[in-house]
Amino acid sequence: MAQVGDRSPAAKLGLLDATMVGMGAMIGAGIFVLTGLAADIAGPAALLVFALNGVVTAFTGVSYAELASAIPKSGGGYVFVREVFSGPTSFLMGWMLAFAYMIAGALYALGFSSNFVEFVHLYWAGLPTGPVWHIVYALVVVGLFALLNAVSTEASGGAETVVTIIKIIILLVFAGFGAFAVEGGNLEPFFPGNRASVSLVQAMGLTFIAFEGYDLIATVTEEVENPRENIPKAIFISLVATVAIYLVVVWVAIGTLGADKLGRAGETGIAEAATSFMPTIPLLGEGAALIVFGAVFSTVSALNAVVIASSRVVFAMGRENQLPNPLGQISATFGTPLAAVVASAAVMLVSVLLLPIEQVGRVSSLFFLVSFVVVNWSVIRLRRQRPNMTRPFEMPLYPYIPLLGIALNLVLAYFLLRDDPFTLVLGLGWVAIGGAVYAVLEWRRPRPEPAEA
Amino acid sequence: MPAHGKDLRIIIVGGGEVGFRTAQLLDERGHDLVIIESDPERCQKIADAYVATVIEGDATLPDIFQQAGPETANVVAALSDDTLANLAVCMIAQRLNPDLHTVMRTDAETGEAHAELVDSVIYPQRASALLAVNAVLSGDVRSLEHAMGVLDIAEVRIGADAPAAGKRLTEISFPKGCLVVSDVDGSSIAGADTVLEPGHRYIVAAEPEVVQELMRLLRG
Repeated sequence: MAQVGDRSPAAKLGLLDATMVGMGAMIGAGIFVLTGLAADIAGPAALLVFALNGVVTAFTGVSYAELASAIPKSGGGYVFVREVFSGPTSFLMGWMLAFAYMIAGALYALGFSSNFVEFVHLYWAGLPTGPVWHIVYALVVVGLFALLNAVSTEASGGAETVVTIIKIIILLVFAGFGAFAVEGGNLEPFFPGNRASVSLVQAMGLTFIAFEGYDLIATVTEEVENPRENIPKAIFISLVATVAIYLVVVWVAIGTLGADKLGRAGETGIAEAATSFMPTIPLLGEGAALIVFGAVFSTVSALNAVVIASSRVVFAMGRENQLPNPLGQISATFGTPLAAVVASAAVMLVSVLLLPIEQVGRVSSLFFLVSFVVVNWSVIRLRRQRPNMTRPFEMPLYPYIPLLGIALNLVLAYFLLRDDPFTLVLGLGWVAIGGAVYAVLEWRRPRPEPAEA
Repeated sequence: MPAHGKDLRIIIVGGGEVGFRTAQLLDERGHDLVIIESDPERCQKIADAYVATVIEGDATLPDIFQQAGPETANVVAALSDDTLANLAVCMIAQRLNPDLHTVMRTDAETGEAHAELVDSVIYPQRASALLAVNAVLSGDVRSLEHAMGVLDIAEVRIGADAPAAGKRLTEISFPKGCLVVSDVDGSSIAGADTVLEPGHRYIVAAEPEVVQELMRLLRG
């Protein structure tokens, strides 16, 4: 008797699924966790913060689209950079990108626990709360999703589409009811204080992570149908739709609660705004419960997305032998990249334990900004190195788009770091650890095996 | 210096039927591919299939060939229908990277004449003839190498540090759509207790969607 497999292979993703991969990762963390923070810094101009961030990130989106359509490999930014740059640069890119996803996971987990406490308290006041408990809930949820992804590939399939559509509906319900409760006075003065432009750019850097996620589409390209057409489309549609949803939600949140109150509410800002205007809904009780539920749900699904994303980058680096061998192997027992998932989750758990939520957001934004600089640079370098490469999606206005992408990402990174040496130290610390890992791996590298297909 | 990745990086010259189909099969097994093809329309078609990075141009021009990245590749397969061009490509490739394994497609007149100069010579017309013989005789037994269909039936050597190495078949979670048929000695059909010994060869059958995953389990 021969051995027959019984595990289903991953399903094919259509345009809708691919778009939802991007939107699912973007919507969730940023909007629920960071709207309060943005309002705290920039006042009602938080609206402008989200709009401008959308524009900045669109440049990098175009670069991702060109690379993803021409390089038929899953694995996202790291894989493209690996194609274009030498060993150390591509290692550093993977190292930073994986960490950006991991630490974004920590942010989503912490955002989850605040909103989770809020949600449970609507029905049962007995749930223990306090800083220590928040960290405990965050650790549990990271552990849970790491486990889920370690033992099954199901979590990465088309189920994400349904989850994301539910998230979008909840936000639209919020916007729909809220639009009638907006008080124009809350949006004035639009620019608070006299250092408006600086605070604007600072808030952009802090909330940049809310626009990270469309790049995840590039990590699943090989599973997408008709990829050369659908991937660029999915990247653009998910970006535009997400920015539109953000603008409506931020407008409602500021318009109903006012920037000051929203700022004080921090990572539960959206839920607090909902409490002020949502009507009673049958079964759920208070209408705000739906929004708080949405926040819990969204942070969880965004967390799932980055657990997958970070482990895929780690796995890709393992396959390229840029990280130790076991990280690039799938588990014989589960058929999943088990070691890569465990390694990613471990870094997430440590980040949850050691870093305050604001710091987590900053470090993650910083690494996304820096790695997006490298992605834009890859487009330019690839055009020069391989002018004759077939580019099914060839960006217009080359080289202005990637150059602008590089410049704008660097400006945001500069303002993010300017008043915050701790983030700089953390970032450099992680890069230094990476340098050491790279040096050790190079030094211990075994001689390559003879080619054998 | 060749790439150190677990998957091979392969340059295929000529994106015609032979080159393209070869690329598809290699992509299913999880390898990284670059195709160099001179016909622009053909290039678009290959790009649509999303199996390889495509360079448009004449591969015998070093300027074009360079763009496929020979310094990080493991294998170059010159599979166009122009035998002289294939030979030129293999020579350029060896010059640029002496570690490259070279595969050259040849034709009836040339035969094995260049076998000394390259690592392997293939002759698709002869393979087709064998296939035709199989079909004409329509026997119950068909040689494995020439099986058509979509199923990939292959003999796989278990990698030393592959996830499945040293494990019993029941301990391994195989994807749906694949089958370990036997060890190559032909002494036995694989059973639940068959152990996949590293370094030994086994015959496996798999549907295209799961070939890559199967190879990752067995080869690492």
